Amino acid sequence: MIRVENLNVMFGYGRNEVQAVRNASFTVAEGESFGLVGESGSGKSTVLRAIAGLHSHWTGTIAVDGIDLKPKRPREFRKLLQMVFQDPFGSLHPRHTVDFILKEPLAIHRFDDVEDRTLKALDEVGLGPEFRFRYPHQISGGQRQRIAIARALILEPRVVLLDEPTSALDVSVQAEILNLLGRLRDEHGLTYIMVSHNLAVVAHLCERIAVMNRGAFVEEMTDRQLREATPAHGYTRQLLVASKGYNRQAIDGFVEFE
Amino acid sequence: MTALLSVEDLRVSFTTPKGVVEAVRGIDFELAQERLGIVGESGAGKSQTGRAILRLTSGNGRIDAKHMEFDGIDLLGVSERRMRSIRGNRISMIMQDPQYSLNPVMTVGSQIAEAYLVHANASKREARDRALDMLETVRIREPEKVYHLYPHEVSGGMGQRIMIAMMLIPEPDLMIADEPTSALDVTVQLQVLALLDDMVTQRGMGLILISHDLNLVASFCDRVLVMYGGRIMEALDAKDLHSAQHPYTRGLIDCLPRLDGSHEQLRVLQRDPAWLEA
Repeated sequence: MIRVENLNVMFGYGRNEVQAVRNASFTVAEGESFGLVGESGSGKSTVLRAIAGLHSHWTGTIAVDGIDLKPKRPREFRKLLQMVFQDPFGSLHPRHTVDFILKEPLAIHRFDDVEDRTLKALDEVGLGPEFRFRYPHQISGGQRQRIAIARALILEPRVVLLDEPTSALDVSVQAEILNLLGRLRDEHGLTYIMVSHNLAVVAHLCERIAVMNRGAFVEEMTDRQLREATPAHGYTRQLLVASKGYNRQAIDGFVEFE
Repeated sequence: MTALLSVEDLRVSFTTPKGVVEAVRGIDFELAQERLGIVGESGAGKSQTGRAILRLTSGNGRIDAKHMEFDGIDLLGVSERRMRSIRGNRISMIMQDPQYSLNPVMTVGSQIAEAYLVHANASKREARDRALDMLETVRIREPEKVYHLYPHEVSGGMGQRIMIAMMLIPEPDLMIADEPTSALDVTVQLQVLALLDDMVTQRGMGLILISHDLNLVASFCDRVLVMYGGRIMEALDAKDLHSAQHPYTRGLIDCLPRLDGSHEQLRVLQRDPAWLEA
């Protein structure tokens, strides 16, 4: 479904050029969930944004559904692939009602039976029709993230990119959103690429996981390898130790990986 | 162990145009020279508890307590002037976001030195040397170079270490750390906690760690208070956290995805209105 080969993403020009992603290559099959983990600045979100077409300064190959993509994307591409962002406070327009937020993509793509689709989208993410005419500030963070998911799914995409979808939420709400994402994937046969710094969250939703550090892929493994804590690379092992909690001895042994 | 801080029936309420909001509703706890964790979801009142101890509640807020005593000082009774000499010097607080808490137009070194000058009768040169020592203590490489940087020139992890250096330089007896590491990467997070841990074990400082991360608190602290809706649901030893009995604590633990778990549905927290009564 998705094929990325030798992806390089650059920011800045000349002396200030920073290479955020270095030679990233991976494939994701239809219906599969692929996870990208890494620390801040590792380039995991940048990979996602390059696939979504939010960065144009890249080289390499990005193909979705067998079509090689250029930096500029056609309108049909948006119907195929949608994205959910980390911050539900920043990703919804503060002066638009939920109803308007959900109807805007439908209008852009000239869908009919707009009313039915809006109500169905709300229902799918577990919100009642009473939420239709509220503004984002009138609902909680978890409900806002549900609206963001509803907006992404209303165009019936086949691929959804998830950029830290639960890291701004409380753990109890995180569980609800993860369950929702799992259910929607099973019902609609969606393909996910999920980015997170939380290993447990990624391992919960994804079957294959890639670890990134300083813009490059460190290693790729299955969720089983991660669960059994048998990664090949030292960086991943350190990440695993760190995510298990506080351990004074282990901390003194931490090293930086180039 | 004698109590460094004892709090009885602490209440914090805010007057808003929509009426009075009670953020903290009658909590009791004691702290000795130990690591106490306060966990809960957003809105549980954990940060307001920390701020109330330092009387940093915002203008429309009101702090009430039957008793709030720190090392023999009645924290609610003392004058604002006296309170200023306690803040920073005896009780210190690390805020969540270094980018907002540091002064953007002062170099980080001079901010740390200032923290020392305010509370100690020292020369500028001494303060500078102490600040450089402190930067080394919080494991910043090339302290001489970092001393002259501005907050926007340092990374998040380094900014948080600078904050900690600033808070530790007057050698407080009690440190309140409000989500000190939530914005940091896991490995950096643990290194920062190790610094605080050393202060507790080596200097006998008392530490209140406010966090939403149960696993972290369970592995780091000695004792844990679990807060919900402005109340303490349960107080227990950190090592017992994973065998907690209270349905709220259990719910919080069960809804976490686990590395050794499976792809099955996560359990969702069911809230019981009865938790807020009594």
